[in-house]
Amino acid sequence: MTEPILEVSDLVKHYPLTRGTVFRKQAGAVRAVDGVDLRLGRGETLGIVGESGCGKSTVAKMLVNLERPTAGSIRYKGEDITRLSGRALKAVRRNIQMVFQDPYTSLNPRMTVGDIIGEPYDIHPEVAPKGDRRRKVRELLDVVGLNPEYINRYPHQFSGGQRQRIGIARGLALRPEVIVADEPVSALDVSVQAQVVNLMDRLQSEFDLAYVFIAHDLSVVRHISDRVGVMYLGRIVETGTDTEIYDHPTHPYTQALLSAVPVPDPGAREHRERIILSGDVPSPTDIPSGCRFRTRCWKARERCALEVPALAVPATFAAAGGPAAHDSACHFAEERHVVPEGRHGGGPG
Amino acid sequence: MPNQYHEAERAIAGTGMGGTMDLGVDEAETLGKRPGPDGGGPQEPPRSLWSDAWRDLRRNPVFIVSALVICFLVLISLWPSAIASGSPLTCDLSKAQQGSQSGHPFGFDGQGCDVYTRTVYGARTSVAVGVLATLGVTVLGSVLGALAGFFGGVWDSVLSRITDVFFAIPVVLGGLVLLSVITSNTIWPVIGFIVLLGWPQISRIARGAVITAKQNDYVQAARALGASHSRLVLRHIAPNAVAPVIVVATIALGTYIALEATLSYLGVGLKPPSVSWGIDISAASPYIRNAPHALLWPSGALAITVLAFIMLGDAVRDALDPKLR
Amino acid sequence: MLLEVRDLHVEFHTRDGVAKAVNGVGYRVDEGETLAVLGESGSGKSVTAQAIMGILDVPPGRVTGGEVVFQGRDLLTLKEDERRRIRGAEMAMIFQDALSSLNPVLTVGDQLGEMFTVHRGMSRKQARAEAVELMDRVRIPAARERVGQYPHQFSGGMRQRIMIAMALALEPALIIADEPTTALDVTVQAQVMELLAELRREYRMGLVLITHDLGVVADVADRIAVMYAGRIVESAPVHDIYKAPAHPYTRGLLDSIPRLDRKGQELYAIKGLPPNLMSIPPGCAFHPRCPLARDVCRTDEPPLYQVSATRGSACHFWRECLDD
Repeated sequence: MTEPILEVSDLVKHYPLTRGTVFRKQAGAVRAVDGVDLRLGRGETLGIVGESGCGKSTVAKMLVNLERPTAGSIRYKGEDITRLSGRALKAVRRNIQMVFQDPYTSLNPRMTVGDIIGEPYDIHPEVAPKGDRRRKVRELLDVVGLNPEYINRYPHQFSGGQRQRIGIARGLALRPEVIVADEPVSALDVSVQAQVVNLMDRLQSEFDLAYVFIAHDLSVVRHISDRVGVMYLGRIVETGTDTEIYDHPTHPYTQALLSAVPVPDPGAREHRERIILSGDVPSPTDIPSGCRFRTRCWKARERCALEVPALAVPATFAAAGGPAAHDSACHFAEERHVVPEGRHGGGPG
Repeated sequence: MPNQYHEAERAIAGTGMGGTMDLGVDEAETLGKRPGPDGGGPQEPPRSLWSDAWRDLRRNPVFIVSALVICFLVLISLWPSAIASGSPLTCDLSKAQQGSQSGHPFGFDGQGCDVYTRTVYGARTSVAVGVLATLGVTVLGSVLGALAGFFGGVWDSVLSRITDVFFAIPVVLGGLVLLSVITSNTIWPVIGFIVLLGWPQISRIARGAVITAKQNDYVQAARALGASHSRLVLRHIAPNAVAPVIVVATIALGTYIALEATLSYLGVGLKPPSVSWGIDISAASPYIRNAPHALLWPSGALAITVLAFIMLGDAVRDALDPKLR
Repeated sequence: MLLEVRDLHVEFHTRDGVAKAVNGVGYRVDEGETLAVLGESGSGKSVTAQAIMGILDVPPGRVTGGEVVFQGRDLLTLKEDERRRIRGAEMAMIFQDALSSLNPVLTVGDQLGEMFTVHRGMSRKQARAEAVELMDRVRIPAARERVGQYPHQFSGGMRQRIMIAMALALEPALIIADEPTTALDVTVQAQVMELLAELRREYRMGLVLITHDLGVVADVADRIAVMYAGRIVESAPVHDIYKAPAHPYTRGLLDSIPRLDRKGQELYAIKGLPPNLMSIPPGCAFHPRCPLARDVCRTDEPPLYQVSATRGSACHFWRECLDD
């Protein structure tokens, strides 16, 4: 892997649960993120998938410093940004920007598009001289595929996909090196989603961006990511390249997740093997001992309740190598093929 | 770092970028044909919550009537002599309790003062108290409420308890106790009292509105850019939180006018020789059998004024409420 | 035939003008069949369902034409109290957002039991027993203990099961499910879809599944009706559509979804935006975004051409689209 631009180690975020208003006392904690390690190379896309409540959005917020971690470090080019404040933090923020999920609430309805995209320059005036900002905003609109003449319009005059482009333009304004995108296309219609995914792909190569792409849609994540991390209940359970994760998953949760994705191919429905998990995700206030997936896992044995499985290459695969030899936090990791081979000849052209 | 930045700079300004992306051009073309991407017909001007609300209000008869009444009130409180030639303090005991007569359409009160002139001049007190008290309440209440909503935590807990305490004070009783020790016969003690008891109402509204606005992603987006607290509040939160405050303040203005009259009626607000509808109502009530007109006109003026502000607030609320759209 | 919608038109009167949400929709569902109505937001798929159920907000909505024939009767000509008797008992609906569709101040047992006390005149005690049985049937664990709990005490997947139980309560002949799993996580979505399919087989109900998810459709549907700008643009058995779409919009949708089984190149993207319902383009509503569009598409609205005995496509050039 290339030299990491962002390196996260043992990141933890616990939200204390308190009782009482004036005299507060702690009555437990929501363990939203519970020890996450990530590495992001320059110009690379790291996909993070997981179901709601797995902590992926909290990770995103900590990466852009919207939440302070309870413990752990986030190193940007070797410097731990979780301890920064004031001027130094502001300088780092320029380089790590965020694109939000909901195109309807992420743009201030009282501001024009020009003001929204130009705001980064108001906050970081050193980036662009005042007289130059309008021109830059027009260029950004053009770059994300919107007509620069719309600079004086308000967000409600645009469709969801167009608003997401505006959000992306705002994220690009300071020329960041890292963009953290939290479910950037999940609120969009299928046909518009493809436009925005393509746009993000193109911007990545044009501006040499590194993406942390967070989503629950496994197909979109595979499409855009170089490497993928699968999160469950606050931890990464399996991580590897897209081929390693999708074609050679070894963690039972990843396998269940992949097997549950509906595939747009009616021919696949008869011979398709589905792993239907029982029950619901446990509450993050009350995480099971040992392996946190064991309460829903069909392979769980006594060892799983006692020992926390480490995120490492399982011993069974380490010697043999090959695509199954990637980090997987399971005591009983085994390879299983769950994604049906598509017959549908989609794709461009 | 500066190097990378300039590289990216050149990339974006470079020629390969401009209009050559398929996607960009396609969409721009589609948009070009349909100037209102979401909204409808061509040449649709940019619209905001406020211009939408204004469009609604202009068609609402309740708004038009109450706004006209309020305009009239403001005008006569600024220039009462324009429609009432005499002085409200010139009284002639010999005409006491007399009815309507030429030049004195509303008749005379128990002291022989012209009811018409006094009613016109009374508007000045009411409007002044209402407007100034509302200004004070709104400024104090929204600043404290916004701070509590924005910073939360201890600030919020403390402020919430304080507002609870103030809510527990009965207004009239509080007025009787606090104002009876004050001797100054100006409108300021009354305004001060209203501000003191009125701000918690606004601060609650402001706090709620700020908390709602704060949760929007665009506030998070601005924070992620490194925006300062003042920028977040002034540019992103306040403009999206003022609507409910304005509505409540408008309605409250009407009730403050009524409160001033009540306090003056009870003898702790303004006292003669000040001119106020409350004083006149108080003075006229013993003679209600002999001279009902002396009570009728100031009370009627008071009722219409209070009603006008409350209806205006209602109309504004309806126009600003996105759920009704 | 269980349900047939013929030439349905629905308009919404807003202060900005008239939005034509549904413009001549027609589809049919047979007993025990699953019809997927596929469309993006604003395609009119949900409005059509609301018009069928008779739960359209009137005003601003208004059915301006067409027929909804259910078990031989045109529902649009019935009186409101007659329609009310059909709702719930003979056709039921499942919504996307189970949390807001359940009353937060009543226990799930009360809400399920209400179906029986109101429609079947059962006593409260009987209704309670029926509620427990229903919860068992939609596989809510420990139904007897949980029947007295409130909606917020259930997880999203469990709440959607309760919605399904409510819809099933009176064993209707037709269920309309509007994006029933969109708000759920993928593993829970699989559980719920499987449950729904199983129960449908068991009760031999007709199912109208309204969705935007081409994956879900491929998993459960027998036939598909694709909607665009308030019209059906393609209607066909599920295998035919995925094999060879006969409308450029369907083709565009299929091509624009990324694949799970391999990393693709650039995605195909349908250019432009869905139309504004206040000013739907003349001719074929899809022509501004269509790669096959010619002059005739800008002027003549295509009828639903008969592609085969079981397929229809509203494209003047469906042959080219099929060959492509």
